[in-house]
Amino acid sequence: MSYQTALAIFLPLGLAIAAMGSAFGLGRAVSAAMEAMGRQPEAAAKIQLGMIIGCALIEALTIYALVTVFILQGKIS
Amino acid sequence: MLTEELAKHAAEKAQEGAPELPNFITFLYHEYGEAAFVGFLHHYENVIFSWMVAVFLCVLAYLVYRKRSIMPGRWQNAVEMVVEALDNFVCGILGPEGRRFTPFLGTLFIYILTMNFLGMKSPTANLNQTLALAICVFFYVQYTGIRSFGIVGYLKHMAGDPKDVITWLLVPLNIPIHIIEELAKPMSLSLRLFGNITGEDVLITVFVGLGVSALSFLHLPVGIPFEVPFVFLALLTGTIQALVFTLLSTIYFSLMLPHEEH
Repeated sequence: MSYQTALAIFLPLGLAIAAMGSAFGLGRAVSAAMEAMGRQPEAAAKIQLGMIIGCALIEALTIYALVTVFILQGKIS
Repeated sequence: MLTEELAKHAAEKAQEGAPELPNFITFLYHEYGEAAFVGFLHHYENVIFSWMVAVFLCVLAYLVYRKRSIMPGRWQNAVEMVVEALDNFVCGILGPEGRRFTPFLGTLFIYILTMNFLGMKSPTANLNQTLALAICVFFYVQYTGIRSFGIVGYLKHMAGDPKDVITWLLVPLNIPIHIIEELAKPMSLSLRLFGNITGEDVLITVFVGLGVSALSFLHLPVGIPFEVPFVFLALLTGTIQALVFTLLSTIYFSLMLPHEEH
């Protein structure tokens, strides 16, 4: 297997695995935030702020995988 | 033929790496590629576009500032609303002391938002642009830390505020961790913004290419606008990423400010 083939197979696969992991993380974070907001609607703004920070930090992990894809994309062809 | 040019350009770009949509500089380059000025524009197009955004914002701010009055007009009202919202946002996190950071953080937000909304060629889809912004944030945060704790206090903060024997023993462990943490902040800030905006741009470009090639058998200068839903998605992510960049910068400032009221 040439390294181009390996990259073409495993770059999307790695991105998919990273996206799956952060999807689970995001799901837990958002559901907990929604529950908290439902219980305390008056604190919704603060909870939302914290949720957005957490979501950004979780999502960054997928973005790192995406950046790797962008960096190595030129080597495939 | 316009669509064929577009498709050819997209194919050329796809071989270089991430595909991107052509803009007016690309057309100038295709038409007058041998002119030195156009070559200059093409080579530095990210810089040109980010300067265009900066100049646009400066001119807008200047025009509104020049005609300010007690009874605000339409433009002054809009700008005041934006500034007040940003001020509330920053002061809500940093407290009333944090007002002196509003100009910097607000400028970051408006600048990044405008660059994200530039559409076909966001300067934020280039790592140099986002890294430059993140490095500005990094140095300003360190400067704020040194100013608010003093040099000794800053070094102590980096050593994890040692108080008794055990925390002093942990100092050699704490210092590298804090240094790596501080250096990771601009990295993650810039990579997050770059990755998100580039991802959006690539998505839109791919769907434009699909729309063009779907009708290419007709040889008409039109395509199916497959990219429209993703443009709306790009509006959403552009706003959220600008907000997240500003929010995380604000949090980094708040970590470097002494806080007693909690």
